[in-house]
Amino acid sequence: MSADSLPVIRAMQLADSGFPSGVFAFSWGLESALADGQVDRHSLCDWVATELRTRWHGFDRVALAGGHRLSGAALAAWCETIDTMMPVERLRRDSVQAGEALFASARAVRIALDPGATEAERAGTGHFPVVHGDFLRACGLDLPTALMTSAYGMARGAFSAAVRLGVSGAIATQRDLLTLAPLLAELSADIPDDDALPSGFMPLSDIALMRPRDGRLFIN
Amino acid sequence: MTAARVGIGGPVGSGKTALIEAMLRELAEAGIDTAVITNDLVTDEDAERLRKGGQLPPERVRAVQAGACPHTVIREDPTLNMAAADRLEAEFPGLDLILLESGGDNLASTFSPDLVDFWMFVIDVAGGDDIPRKKGPGILQANLLVINKADLAPHVGVDFPKMLAEATEVRGGGAVLPTVCRKGEGVAEVVGHLRREVLFK
Ligand SMILES: Nc1nc2c(ncn2[C@@H]2O[C@H](COP(=O)(O)OP(=O)(O)O)[C@@H](O)[C@H]2O)c(=O)[nH]1
Ligand SMILES: [Mg+2]
Repeated sequence: MSADSLPVIRAMQLADSGFPSGVFAFSWGLESALADGQVDRHSLCDWVATELRTRWHGFDRVALAGGHRLSGAALAAWCETIDTMMPVERLRRDSVQAGEALFASARAVRIALDPGATEAERAGTGHFPVVHGDFLRACGLDLPTALMTSAYGMARGAFSAAVRLGVSGAIATQRDLLTLAPLLAELSADIPDDDALPSGFMPLSDIALMRPRDGRLFIN
Repeated sequence: MTAARVGIGGPVGSGKTALIEAMLRELAEAGIDTAVITNDLVTDEDAERLRKGGQLPPERVRAVQAGACPHTVIREDPTLNMAAADRLEAEFPGLDLILLESGGDNLASTFSPDLVDFWMFVIDVAGGDDIPRKKGPGILQANLLVINKADLAPHVGVDFPKMLAEATEVRGGGAVLPTVCRKGEGVAEVVGHLRREVLFK
């Protein structure tokens, strides 16, 4: 076994849809965007690419890097910062709910998270991307690999939601993932600076996320 | 972690929510501290119905959305339900029982042993008396099979005693209980079974 294979095997396990973390129940705006006609089968791949470039690159990537690098009180404070960077209450709540599922998963799988993360969970600020960063670190992934795992997970999750919503097929979405692989590689190779802050942008999908929940299949 | 976690699965419309509504009355009388998690397919329909029923304070009824996948949220990836249950336990120390209602699925649905200590499967008479013969993991593996809407048997041409006997047979003698949840009939027996087998209280 080469020295590099263990982290790759770990990353494959953690990015696999079989890893229970609750993310399958989130569409991060795709369900509403589809219902509003902002995206359809043909533009799905572009929609996911835009989400990666905006939400993931601008926000999740930076939030995750802090979660990966920091510990103790600094990590808990980072969770607070992320909390204040999310102006929309609904988004905040969904992100904490996703974080809670990851905490439950870590407890059950017996992966010890940093005390700063547990402190944030108690305070109700255990946001998913930050907890995910700490979680991937605790599983032995370095930051570049953690970022790849996260970017891939976002794309895979969106396509899987699309399949369950009946807009795309499992084969078509695999073709889309092949197309997006270079973008995933490029975006996740951009390691945030230590002092980087997530951007408070408002992509279209954020607006979609604020719509009422009536008739929704996904948490968001 | 002290509260027993009990799953309630079964096809859509078989009477899972009706069973919970009827059970809550019995459980309250027996002094069993209870909370409920629903997995509605869409929005919070069942959770709202239980909250409006007034048997439990609204904050003891949680809704977890299932992302169009009612079986995933109770089996392949039960973490959202685990997190909701953990939170209920943290907020209500001394909780004895958490009931988890599945969003309704087919006869193949089962609960993950990671999520629940015990689970029951609810089918109804109007689905046809051939349902037990079709077996399926839900019918065969549940700790308790409940056959609801016994009152409808004469209207849908079902020989109810025969259906009960066949269900017991395919389950190799495993527990099967008849109910009319809408009238509360048979529900005391379901609660009695839970108290003996899971709650020890
Ligand atoms: N006749 C009859 N109807 C029932 C009984 N239990 C439930 N129902 C009705 O069956 C329908 C579905 O019940 P519900 O509890 O919502 O089913 P769920 O989808 O499994 O939660 C409702 O209209 C109930 O009133 C019963 O014992 N007898
Ligand atoms: Mg129901």
